[in-house]
Amino acid sequence: MRITQPALGKYICGMVASLIIALAGGWLILAPFALGYQPYSASWTSQTVNDFVMGISVAVVGLISFALFFYSLLGALRAAGVITARLRPVAQTPAPYQPQATAPQASAPSQSDLDRTLATLAEALAADLTARRQTGSDQQSDQSVEQMMNRRDAQ
Amino acid sequence: MNVRDARRRLVSPGSYILFLLLLAGIWLTISPFVMATQPSGMHWIASTINNVTIGTIMIVVSLLGMLGYMLFALRDLIREAPSKQAMEQQASQSPVDQ
Repeated sequence: MRITQPALGKYICGMVASLIIALAGGWLILAPFALGYQPYSASWTSQTVNDFVMGISVAVVGLISFALFFYSLLGALRAAGVITARLRPVAQTPAPYQPQATAPQASAPSQSDLDRTLATLAEALAADLTARRQTGSDQQSDQSVEQMMNRRDAQ
Repeated sequence: MNVRDARRRLVSPGSYILFLLLLAGIWLTISPFVMATQPSGMHWIASTINNVTIGTIMIVVSLLGMLGYMLFALRDLIREAPSKQAMEQQASQSPVDQ
């Protein structure tokens, strides 16, 4: 990764200005009570309302400005290679199931010895299962024929 | 670099918000007189002094923030200009050499 010297002065200048203004907004909220021009247990004067509303607005907007300059600073640092961009996790889609026993020779060159052994074993198991099923079905058909013959004899 | 790119580099989104804060500072400075909370012909009361002071600070700081950002960005543009020119010249000469 290429690292260049980033120019950060402009972002720091904006961040400092925004922070000072946000603090000024905080002071504006407190000022009517701190300086005593808002009497206690009395409805707020127009100057108090003005200072309070302006103070909240200035503090919020100043913090937004600070955040914007801060994110610009982060972008510049990322572009310069000082900090690395956050890697987003890539959702891995599950690979479709491909039975190894049906075509073990097709992907044989890319498989390891263990895969080849497993494929051979699975193929042998599949052949054994089919043989057992065939013999089982033959035995069942023989038994059913014998039962039919016995019933006929009994009648 | 065209004019739009240069303007984008000189004026950030944060600078627009600093401009809004400059307007808020102007309002804070003039609000005691506009809202008539400062009696005319008398010494300034505490709220007027506070508002004018804070408003002036906001005007000055927001102006300094905007101008500082623009000056730093301009300095960066000027520093980058020779290297960009060299790259463009190299790019224009390379097809001729081949």
